[in-house]
Amino acid sequence: MRGSFLKAVGFTIAIIGLFTYISIYVSGLSGTDGGEVGGGIDPETGEKLYWGDGQCSTCHKIGNQGSSTRGPDQENLYVRAEERAKARGLSSATEYLVESMVDPSAYIVEGYGDIMPKAYEPPIILEKDQILAILLYLQSLGGEPNIAEVSKYKDKIPTASRKKVKPWVPPVVVDAKVGEDIFFSETHAASCSKCHVVKGKGAKIGPDLDSIGAIQTPEYLMEAILNPSVQIVKGYETVYIITTDGIPYSGIIKNQNESEIVLAVDEGGVIEDVTIHRDEIEDMKQQEISMMPGNLNELLSVKDFYGVVNYLLTLK
Amino acid sequence: MTRQRVILAVLIFSAILAIVLPFTAFAQEEVEEAVVQYRPFLFGGSARVAVWIVAELHLMFAAFVLGVPMFAVIIELVGVRTKDERYNKLAHELTKLLSASFATTAALGGVLAFFLIGLYPGFTHYMANIFHTTFYIYAFLFFGEAFSLYAYYYSWDRLLHKKWAHLLLGLSLNLFGTALMIIANSWTTFMMSPAGIEKETGQLLSLWDAIANPLWNPINIHRLIANVAFGGFVVGAYAAIKFLGATVDEEKAHYDWMGYTGNFIGLAALIPLPFAGYWLGREIYSSSAVMGNISMGGAFSWAFIIQAVLIGMLFIGANYYLWAGMDRIKGAERYAWWIKYLIVMLFFSIAVWLTPHNLPLSGEERSVIGEQYHPFSKFFGVMAAKNAAVNLTILVTFFSFILYRRANKGQTVLFSKQGKGVKIALIIGAAASVALLAWYAIGLPNVKVLEDAIRPYVWPLVILLGIQGGIVIASTILTFFNRGVFAQYLLFGFTIAISVIYMGIYGFELMGKANLLLRYLSVSQVLIVIACLITNTMIDVAVFSRAQSVGGVAWGRMSVRSQYALILLCVTIVTMMGLMGFVRSGLRLDWHIYGVLRDTSDGAFTPSYAYMGEVVGITVLLFLGLVTFVFWLASLGEKKAVEKAELIEEVIA
Repeated sequence: MRGSFLKAVGFTIAIIGLFTYISIYVSGLSGTDGGEVGGGIDPETGEKLYWGDGQCSTCHKIGNQGSSTRGPDQENLYVRAEERAKARGLSSATEYLVESMVDPSAYIVEGYGDIMPKAYEPPIILEKDQILAILLYLQSLGGEPNIAEVSKYKDKIPTASRKKVKPWVPPVVVDAKVGEDIFFSETHAASCSKCHVVKGKGAKIGPDLDSIGAIQTPEYLMEAILNPSVQIVKGYETVYIITTDGIPYSGIIKNQNESEIVLAVDEGGVIEDVTIHRDEIEDMKQQEISMMPGNLNELLSVKDFYGVVNYLLTLK
Repeated sequence: MTRQRVILAVLIFSAILAIVLPFTAFAQEEVEEAVVQYRPFLFGGSARVAVWIVAELHLMFAAFVLGVPMFAVIIELVGVRTKDERYNKLAHELTKLLSASFATTAALGGVLAFFLIGLYPGFTHYMANIFHTTFYIYAFLFFGEAFSLYAYYYSWDRLLHKKWAHLLLGLSLNLFGTALMIIANSWTTFMMSPAGIEKETGQLLSLWDAIANPLWNPINIHRLIANVAFGGFVVGAYAAIKFLGATVDEEKAHYDWMGYTGNFIGLAALIPLPFAGYWLGREIYSSSAVMGNISMGGAFSWAFIIQAVLIGMLFIGANYYLWAGMDRIKGAERYAWWIKYLIVMLFFSIAVWLTPHNLPLSGEERSVIGEQYHPFSKFFGVMAAKNAAVNLTILVTFFSFILYRRANKGQTVLFSKQGKGVKIALIIGAAASVALLAWYAIGLPNVKVLEDAIRPYVWPLVILLGIQGGIVIASTILTFFNRGVFAQYLLFGFTIAISVIYMGIYGFELMGKANLLLRYLSVSQVLIVIACLITNTMIDVAVFSRAQSVGGVAWGRMSVRSQYALILLCVTIVTMMGLMGFVRSGLRLDWHIYGVLRDTSDGAFTPSYAYMGEVVGITVLLFLGLVTFVFWLASLGEKKAVEKAELIEEVIA
């Protein structure tokens, strides 16, 4: 009895050992090796954070990786950072990168909006070491990662906010599901998916809204819905074109090449593509008014409006 | 016996005290306006790990204590109906294990309550403010369960000739136990999907809404089924250990049969568990899209890969045990050729089940591939493929069971000569299956969320549900014309063709064109498989009832390897419970109560999988060690009784 029991105990321990080994192995695969999430201060961890918890990729692509255009493309970032540091009187490219993370509003790249959140504050809440890891990764984009250089700015990076975050609560009781239904509705006048993509569904006229809830506050989203022209995301400005025949078009450039421009035009609530040959263009200029309807406050009831905001906040 | 009762009474009293104590503690805190939110564990240890381990141990014991009575009563009922003393003996033995484990469950509940009060006073205070009314009911039900268990266990011999009265006691034990579980579930699920409160201030608006929060019922159903599977596999392992140590043939035969019964119960509950899990997952997503994304597509997605490994081990282990069991059945060799094909299907579907959608790629690898996903394996990582795979796994396992059942059956009785009961049961089973399919098919086109553009994609689902209904009817009619076995193969074949192959491929089309319909596709697949399982079971019973036996089951002639399969099943399901406990709790991230009460303690980080693996591994070892100890304690009385009987026999002689 004792022999068979001990064998069974050994077998049991082997199964549990296998489970623990798989967990440790998966931990390495998933980038959460070690005791806590986050890993060390190195470019590899920074890269994982860039494409993951840091939410950087929600707005910035890197060359052919990613597709977001809200923020500048970060390919060869370090080269540009050196130029900007010189132009702004900063001591090094790294200092410029640190400034961009700590105080994103200090310098706004021309053509882009002041929309970048502080990564150490809610809802992202990155730890100091995680921000240092991201900085190392950013250094590697066109430069060489230098931990000694990055560490010099350690004290300038604020500690992650640990204050209690009160969840945003709309003034009326609403359901995010209602917002989701309106977002994807094909019949509702204020349907968002006619122009925005979420989880691969919708039309690519306006910016992709995947993960918008992770990077923007409810206030920003409410403003963007009610006053869309106040802050137009880079690459989605409305263009006004008059053809040689005197026909005016107003829309967003979907595609263009040397011979023609494809414009997404709002034709009475229906978005249509209009192809205009460049030699037919009499005049073309960028407008300061967004193509997004400015009367959504009339098209949405109060409940529906907050429902849409609530839904957008769930996209993280 | 008296000493056991005293120990039990003391433990129950401690548990009740633990439940009542918070009220006095909170009353005190109200006066002092305590501001302490967290305290470290003894010697500066991690409070979170302490609560984690104790809570998990309590849940594991509770799962056993709640699961076992359900099938103990059913086994006793079978014994009453068949007048087979083996069932009565088995039910009694199970209840003995239950009785010993109950006190440990209560004690662990008390420890958990003390830990929460001591280590997380702020959180516990808030929870008590919301749920204190349910605490009184819980305490009352606890007495109900304790007294029912007492009565059920100790009246076994006294009510030997009043079995229906005894079964009623067993029923009340189950009712009290289930009620206790669903109350405790309301506390847990409230933490994940809080309702009935003003979210800014946390003030209670409706206790009922707080209890009946969105995840309450999905967890209730999931745990109810999982507890039965858990209890079944633990009993199976207990029997395996006893079998391995047995020296007498009679003893070996008894524990072989007990192991088979434990595995059968575990497997029967395991088959519907993925459906309940799917519902739970869907409701998590519906209640919070963020939490849903975190679970299957975010930080916890790798946990589901580990879970897939464990589920794979469960299904492979359970199937292996059935195939090994066929060796002790004369006549089973007629069906042995099936096994190689079943192995291929099982391993293929589990491989698909295991494949992750997102591969951990570096930037360089991503550039080489040209996209985020692997060009080939990405198809296996999405829900469409996984739904097909899990349905195939279930069908293969059920098929193995059907083969096992008919292994020693020879010449069958003509269906027209079968009894009325069998025929009526077949008709009811088939009618229930068709009704289930029809109910869903009729409702599908009228689902409100569907927009006109995607509505046409519903019709294939409706048609396929209709076809399956037709196949169920055809199979039933064939059975009435003595072609029951052919009807079974027909039903299996069509179910695989429709639910696994066609719907698996159609799922990819829906993903691209009508993503919203995927959830309806999954439910349709599940219903088609369930209809197959119900009808096939009824046909099997109908066809093989009173069939000639080509040789009995040689109970006790089971390989040692097969007993290790039972131990594997037990360790795996306990480990899986530990893993999923981590996921369920971890989904809240750094919130005690999701979106309402933030965790600001030092332990407010999501542990790595390595860390989780170590803590869960230790917890599983502790549980299995404790359970072995408790079962050993229970066997002491048994040895004493045997020695006493032997002494009396000697004296008489």
